[in-house]
Amino acid sequence: MARVEIRQISKIFTDHTAVSNVSLTVNDGEFLVLLGPSGCGKSTLLRMIAGLELPTYGDVFIGERQATRLQPKDRNIAMVFQNYALYPHLTVYENIAFPLRVRGSDKVATDKKVRWAAELVGLTRMLQRKPRQMSGGERQRTALARSLVRDPDVFLLDEPLSNLDAKLRNSAREDLRQFQDRIGVTSIYVTHDQVEAMGLGDRIVVMQAGSVRQVGTPEEIYLHPADTFVATFMGSPPMNLVKTGGVTLGFRPENFLPKANFSENVPVTNITFNVHRMEYLGGDRLLYGNVLGNMPETPAIARIPSSVQYTPVLGTEVIFAVANSELRRFDSETGKAIASTGNVMPRRTVNG
Amino acid sequence: MADTRTVMAGDRILAYATLAPSAFLLLLLAGVPTITVFLTAMQDVSMGDTSGPFIGLENFVWALAEPAFLTALWNTFVWVFGSVAIEMMLGLGLALLLNRNFMFRGAARAVILAPYLVPTVVAVLTWRYMLHDIVGIVNAALIGTGIIDGPLLWLNSRSLAMVSVIMVGVWKFFPFVVIAILGILQSIPQEQYEAAKIDGASSFQQFWRITLPYVMPVFLLTALLRTIWSFNKFEIIYLMTGGGPLDATTTLPVLVYLKAFADFEFGRAAAIAILTLAILCVLLAIYFFFIKRAEARQ
Repeated sequence: MARVEIRQISKIFTDHTAVSNVSLTVNDGEFLVLLGPSGCGKSTLLRMIAGLELPTYGDVFIGERQATRLQPKDRNIAMVFQNYALYPHLTVYENIAFPLRVRGSDKVATDKKVRWAAELVGLTRMLQRKPRQMSGGERQRTALARSLVRDPDVFLLDEPLSNLDAKLRNSAREDLRQFQDRIGVTSIYVTHDQVEAMGLGDRIVVMQAGSVRQVGTPEEIYLHPADTFVATFMGSPPMNLVKTGGVTLGFRPENFLPKANFSENVPVTNITFNVHRMEYLGGDRLLYGNVLGNMPETPAIARIPSSVQYTPVLGTEVIFAVANSELRRFDSETGKAIASTGNVMPRRTVNG
Repeated sequence: MADTRTVMAGDRILAYATLAPSAFLLLLLAGVPTITVFLTAMQDVSMGDTSGPFIGLENFVWALAEPAFLTALWNTFVWVFGSVAIEMMLGLGLALLLNRNFMFRGAARAVILAPYLVPTVVAVLTWRYMLHDIVGIVNAALIGTGIIDGPLLWLNSRSLAMVSVIMVGVWKFFPFVVIAILGILQSIPQEQYEAAKIDGASSFQQFWRITLPYVMPVFLLTALLRTIWSFNKFEIIYLMTGGGPLDATTTLPVLVYLKAFADFEFGRAAAIAILTLAILCVLLAIYFFFIKRAEARQ
């Protein structure tokens, strides 16, 4: 077990910068998620921590050790790959035993460790199978067990759930989190799926174009996005942004409700809303329309729980409102959040 | 129902009608010669009397007792296993090398193909000049660098002729092995090696535990094909040495040719050809056994 520290790391390939001056600290036993759209540099960052890529600038520390130039095998890390990278010609047992065998561990100790790891991920009955005889979920667990047997200091996971179908992904996510809680190993998890990130991460690092946009707990990231990128990347549908001069107002669709739904003593901001279209999603209704009136006409979305009695009349202007405590302000020029008074949670931003 | 049946019958007639020309050609070009060879092998056919009397298996009995046949059989084994073994090792080594990243890799891959593309006649004539004992560049180079004192008789000594023929054969055909193995090497997912690196596998362990199991089926299949083709190879040997000196490089196909078209003993030549086929079949059976076992282990 160890903490991981990344100091001002950059990776420049011949034609583009994949990671640009990123600094991060992953605490001992923490589950950190690197989240961002594809091509944002999250996988490259993970590979530099693994030692599969050499940083162009900057350093990696694992535990108290300077690991920047260490071989992957000398870092005592384990990695689960997107396609699991199981050895197709070896049985599950031999796959799990592989890291021990190549290190010359003796037979009895290897056998004990393999059975322990298989037990932990529930593969005891499948040890003699080959990877191609297994389902995606079982392969994923095999890869997990293989990464476990060496008692690594750090777990690196590169989109390990993205090859599973949607249903399996939910249960695998649950399994993964329980498993990490039990083992308590520092874990760094790369994904482009915000649901995975919110559900799994102790903290989330949102990346875009090689830089870190925000680091924080899922709540911090969702409730107090550091800039308009994070505001629109997180949440589905994304945060509504309305540009009013130098300040851009932001509010989440679920906080954007008809005025009548707020009690008198809650300070609110009124917003005129003209609904074009409604989508019924079962638990919620999504109202698509434009805000207007005292604001420049801008597309926006409201999300109204089915439990709220409200029948929108399409094409008419209605007074909606947002509680002032849920209203976010961003600088229209830079896109950065403007600190509102009072309720700002402490948050770490790196590199802007 | 009746309609359908009529239509189907019509379809069937059309199918047979369109297949007939190909079937006829196949029978004519493959079937007739095969049957003829078997018939000839059981006749005493010689020049001037091609209708020769039937003598049963006498030609086979003769062949199995004939020293020339046994020498040719031995030569064939030396030629086949010598050249296939060297081709496979060289091919694997070069494929591994060409699979690495280096400058001019594309150019190197193209150059290595060259011997395979040169027509056999051109290649053989060039090699015969290069291996000539008096004017050849090989002897000149070896003498010039002081490795040997006097010229070696590359093609005209019983001890060296087979070595020379194998050398040229290997030079001509190893690119095939390189291409086949390079193809499979490039299909190995890079993550396998990355996972192994993280797991702590050394370069040798990565080769032994990842590369080799991936390559093995293709390696064996390539060895099988090279064995069949080498076994039946005629022109490269015949053009290099004509089967000589004495019978030092007379393999079974060369012997068949010499029996038929130098000695005009067609019956005996046919019998040797059939025996060659039988031996090859046994070899193939052994190979298939190994390939099946390797595949089962996958």
